[in-house]
Amino acid sequence: MSEQKLLLHGEKIDKKFGPTHAVKEVSLDFYEGEIHALIGENGSGKSTFTNMLTGILPIGSGTFTLRGQEVAPKNQVDANHHGIAIVVQETGTLPGLTVAENMFLGDEDQFVHAGIKNTGAMNKKAQELLDAYGLGHIKADVVVDNYDFEDRKLVEIVRSTWFDPDILVVDETTTALGEGGRKKLFEVMRDVRAKGHCVIFISHDMAEVIEMSDRISILRDGDYITTVNKSDVDEDKLKTLMVGREMDDHYYRTDYPDYTAEKKGQVAVSVQNVTVPGEVEGLTFDLHYGEILGFGGLSECGMHEVGKAIFGASYDRTGEVVLADGTHVNDINTAINHSIAYASKDRDNESLLINDTIEDNITIPSMRDMGTFLSDKKLREFADTYAAQMQTKMVNVKQHVSALSGGNKQKVVLARWLGKKSDILVLDSPTRGIDIKVKAAIYQLLEDMRAEGKAILIISEEIMELIGMCDRIYIMKDGKINAELQRSPELTDQDLIAKMV
Amino acid sequence: MASNNTAVADPKAATKKSFDFAQIQTFLPFVAFAIIVVFFAIATGGNILTPKNLTLILSGGYMLMIGACGIWLIMTMGCLDFSQGSMLGICCAVFCALSQVNLALALAGSIATGAAISLVNALLHVKGQIASFVVTNCTMFLLRGVVQLITTQNPVYAATYVQGSFNDMGFLMGITIAVLIVTYVVTRFTCIGHNLKAIGANEKAARFAGIKVQKTKILVYVVAGCIIGLAAFVNAIKVGSVTASSGNMFETKLLIAMVLGGMPINGGARARFSNIVVGVLSYLVLEKGLVMLGLTTEMQQLFLGIVFVGLVALFSDRSSNQVIK
Repeated sequence: MSEQKLLLHGEKIDKKFGPTHAVKEVSLDFYEGEIHALIGENGSGKSTFTNMLTGILPIGSGTFTLRGQEVAPKNQVDANHHGIAIVVQETGTLPGLTVAENMFLGDEDQFVHAGIKNTGAMNKKAQELLDAYGLGHIKADVVVDNYDFEDRKLVEIVRSTWFDPDILVVDETTTALGEGGRKKLFEVMRDVRAKGHCVIFISHDMAEVIEMSDRISILRDGDYITTVNKSDVDEDKLKTLMVGREMDDHYYRTDYPDYTAEKKGQVAVSVQNVTVPGEVEGLTFDLHYGEILGFGGLSECGMHEVGKAIFGASYDRTGEVVLADGTHVNDINTAINHSIAYASKDRDNESLLINDTIEDNITIPSMRDMGTFLSDKKLREFADTYAAQMQTKMVNVKQHVSALSGGNKQKVVLARWLGKKSDILVLDSPTRGIDIKVKAAIYQLLEDMRAEGKAILIISEEIMELIGMCDRIYIMKDGKINAELQRSPELTDQDLIAKMV
Repeated sequence: MASNNTAVADPKAATKKSFDFAQIQTFLPFVAFAIIVVFFAIATGGNILTPKNLTLILSGGYMLMIGACGIWLIMTMGCLDFSQGSMLGICCAVFCALSQVNLALALAGSIATGAAISLVNALLHVKGQIASFVVTNCTMFLLRGVVQLITTQNPVYAATYVQGSFNDMGFLMGITIAVLIVTYVVTRFTCIGHNLKAIGANEKAARFAGIKVQKTKILVYVVAGCIIGLAAFVNAIKVGSVTASSGNMFETKLLIAMVLGGMPINGGARARFSNIVVGVLSYLVLEKGLVMLGLTTEMQQLFLGIVFVGLVALFSDRSSNQVIK
C-alpha cells in the first residue's frame, strides 16, 4: 500500500436534479490495482457519481481525470472507449437481441466489413469470451430472453470487462445474483485488480464490502465523508460512518419463542397443491397469523412466483389458495379485498406507478373504501399520514415516485399497504437495494406487525435476513419446497445453503 | 426512530425549488391559447373577436367539445381511438334514419351504435391483445366503408323536426356543458378517474394495485362510444343529413385539439381535465382564424400540421417513454 499510482481523479463532481442536490462537489482519488468501495445510504449519491463517470448521466460540474486526461463520456459506449465500464443495478441487457448482440452493442463496427455485419464472427468471438469466463452454458447466438436474470447479469459482466477496462464500476449488482453468480463476479473483480486496474464497487452488504475492497469511501446525502482502509474498520464502524450516528444494536429480531409451548396462530392462508408451469410445482403450506414465514433459495428456484401465486397474479396457476374465511383467491382483486398485500421484487414495474405521484401510489387500493366522491383533501391527508408513518424522504406527496431513491420507493409501497390495513403481507425481496437505516426500519415494522398478529411472508435472497427475521423458513429448490427450518439461535447460513443446492 | 427527524425534507427549501419543467408544461397550453387568440386578433384586425364571430366559433365547436371528452378518457389510459370520425358518421346515419320514427328511438339507437362499435374495438384491443391504434385504424377504414355504402345513392336525411326544433344555441350549449360537467365530476372525484390515470402511467403496476385494467378499458371505450352517439345527435341537428364524408377527419381534429390542450400522448398522471377545454377552444380559434386570414384549404392543413408536430414535440412526456407506441 506504500506508493500507489493515481489512476482516476474526480475533482469537485457535482450534480443536481431539480430541488435535489444529489452529489455535492465530491473529490475522490482511485489508484491502480485497487478495489475501491463506495458506500452510503440510499440517496447518498453513489450511483449518481458513478453514472456521471460512465456517461449514463451528464456531469453536472467538475472533472474526471483518467491517466492525466480529462474524460467526460457522452454515453456508455463512449465510456467503454475511454476504458470505463459499468455493471448496473437493474437489467442492463436488451430483450429481443441475442447474447452476442448484447455483448457488442454499440460496438458492432469491428465485425462490419464493407457495410455488412459478420454475425458468425461476432457469435464466435462472443462464445470464446463466454467460454474464457467459464460461462460455457450461455450460448452466444441465443436470444437473451431465454436466460434468467442471473445469467443475463453474467452476460453483462462479460460485456463490461472483456476489453480490459481501466475502471470497472460494479453498481449494487450482487443483490441480483445468487451464490454462484456472486463468486463469478468477485473472481472477475479480483482479476481486474490483478491487472493493475481499478474496480469501483457499490454495495449495501457490509460483509461483502469488507471482504472485497482495499479502500472504502463513504458518501452521505451527497457529501463526501471520508475514505478508510479496509484494515482500519469493521462492519459496525462502517455503518456508523454511513448513517452518521451510532446504529442501534437492534437490527434483526432478538426473540426466540419456544414454539413447542406456544400455540400457533390461526391459519391465514392455506396454499394447496399450487403449480405454476415452469415456476413452482405442487406447493402446499400454511401461513399463520402472528408469524413471519420465510421463503429462500437460489434465485431461479421459483420462490418469487410463490408471492404472485398467493396474490392471484400468476398466469396459468392450478391448485388452491384458501383464506381463513374459506375464500378462494384466484385474482388480484379478491386478494386485495381480503386483506392481502403484495410487494413485488420488481418494484419499478409491478409495485409502483413510477410516473405518478406518491399520493396516487399510496391511495390507489384504498380509494374505493373512501366513498363515492373523493375529495382532494381526503386523499392528500391519507397519503400524508402513511408517508409520514413510513418516514418517506420526499418534497411532498405530489412529487413523482420516479424522483425517489430505491429505499424510499419501497417505503411508498409499504405505506400503500399500511393504509389499506392489510393483515396478510407477502413481501418479495423487501429490502432489495435498500440501505441499512431503512432496512432496520422495515425490520422493526415487520416485528411490530407480527406482534399485532398479522401474517407475514417474506421471500428473500438474503440468507441473514431469513435467519434473522423468520419464525419458519421454507427453502425451495427447483420449484419445490426442499426443507422447512424452525427459528433458532443455532441456525446458520450454512444450514440454509446446504438445502438450497 | 422517533428522534430521527431527517426523514422529512425541509419544507421551506422544498417549496422554493420545486418549480420544475413539468409544472411549466401544465401552463403552456394556456399560454399557447392566449398567443393564438392574440395573434389572430391582431392578424384579423380584431375581427375575430366580434360577437358574431365568437358565436360562430363556438357553434362550430359543440361536436368537438363533446367528442373530446371521450377521446380524453381513452387517451388518459394511454390508448388511442382513430375510428371516432367514421363512428360519428355511422351513428349519425342511424340517428337520421330512426328520426323518421321518433326522437327517443333515434337517440337511443345512435348511442347504442356508438357503444356497440366501441365495444368491438375494446374487445379486439383488450382480449385480442392488439395495440389500440392498430385496431382503431382498421375499424376506421371499415366504418368509413360502411358510411360510404349507406350513402352511395343518396345522403341519409333526418326528419325535418330535428333541425327545426333543436337548432338552438342554448340547447346545444346545454348538452355540451352537461357532458363536460359529468366528465369532470366523474374523473375528478371518483375512483375511476384516478384508475384511468394509473392505467396510463403503468398498466402492470395498476393491475398489481388491484385495478381491473381490462374491465376499466372496455368500460371507457363503451362510454366514449356513447359520447360519440351523442355527438352524432348534435351533428344531425346542425347538418340534417349524412353524406359519405360525414365525420371525416373528426378524429384528427380531436387529436390536434388534445395536443393543443397539452394532453400527454401516453396518458397517465399528467392528463388534466383542462386539456379538453383549452385544447378544443385553441383549435376552434386556430381553425376559424386561418379561414378568416383567407388561407386556402391546402394552406390551412399545412399550417395545422406544422402546429401539430411542433406541439407534440413540446408536450411529449419523454420520461415515461420506454417504447414508442
